[in-house]
Amino acid sequence: MLDSFNQTQFLHSVITIGSLLIFAIGLVGVLIKKNLFKIFLSFAIIESSLFIYFIGMHFEVEKVAPMLTDKVTKFSTNMTDPVPQAMILTTIVIGIAVLALALSFIINYFKLTNNMRVDDMNELGDEK
Amino acid sequence: MNLKKEIRVSTLFISLIVSIMTILLLPIFLDFNLASNSLGDSLLNINEIETNSANGVTSVVTYFRGFDTLGEVTILFLSIFGIGLGLDGYRDKLNIFAYENRLLKSSVDILFPLIILFGFYIIIHGHLSPGGGFQGGVIIASAFLLMFLAKGDEFSLNHKIISITEALSGAGFILIGILGVLLVDRFLGNFLPLGTIKELFSGGVIPLIYIFVGIKVSAEITALVEYFIRIKDVR
Repeated sequence: MLDSFNQTQFLHSVITIGSLLIFAIGLVGVLIKKNLFKIFLSFAIIESSLFIYFIGMHFEVEKVAPMLTDKVTKFSTNMTDPVPQAMILTTIVIGIAVLALALSFIINYFKLTNNMRVDDMNELGDEK
Repeated sequence: MNLKKEIRVSTLFISLIVSIMTILLLPIFLDFNLASNSLGDSLLNINEIETNSANGVTSVVTYFRGFDTLGEVTILFLSIFGIGLGLDGYRDKLNIFAYENRLLKSSVDILFPLIILFGFYIIIHGHLSPGGGFQGGVIIASAFLLMFLAKGDEFSLNHKIISITEALSGAGFILIGILGVLLVDRFLGNFLPLGTIKELFSGGVIPLIYIFVGIKVSAEITALVEYFIRIKDVR
């Protein structure tokens, strides 16, 4: 019975639905939260769902990590694709950098206006 | 009050539309098949001849897609630069996250060099095991974060040394790339002997590039930690 769960197709469906749910959590946070910090942390949650999707969809059952160990002694096609993993490594670092920059902007905005709520932002004039 | 209600209605409407579209598109998502002949397979096939690095991901990050890593490090540097422009005057600010904890204060002196050593281990073995420059750099920065939490305002970084370290390691990365142009055919080309696979001195320029990336990332994330942890103005 457990073998039926250990199929590539099944694991891909689980990863797809799970990452879509995490995406939905982040999207709801972006839409309904008013605090700027919470909005940007919701963007980080959306980003993490994309990481999970990208890495998880390139996993296949009975494939090993693209790395030589004591058991795996030769590079072959029986390894997972290293290119998505390398690209997600790049994306994680860029995500951290951009999130930190956004948080510093929020801190500066709070220091200048003493306000961190999206509803009360009116520096460019009131909405007509 | 009326405005708030309106926003709630629009939020519900957007969530409804997004969920309906997701459910409609879900069969396309679920019908996902990997290509049989991918770029990664061909890269893995030539990995043993071209780089002799035991970690496939590392050879993709630093050798086959070395330009990508250069751009990534540049983006990290630019964002830290922007944060420094915004949150300047860190010298006059107080560290509000310090703990008055005796245990933490006495144990940090033992833990700090060990965590730094572990970070360098992760960086240097990037081409042999999971890990590498980015991961090890963040581990080294976490040692400094522990120092900030334990020591409070007694501990502060010399930003001149951090800037010089960062600049030199970035210049080292570029220098390796230019040496690749001069000695072999292209930018970031391999001009060192490849060595035996699964040994520390193997992989050509890959360990050198990852050491420079690791030192640069550790300096940048350490500066970032200090910018964010000294946030309170002295009044």
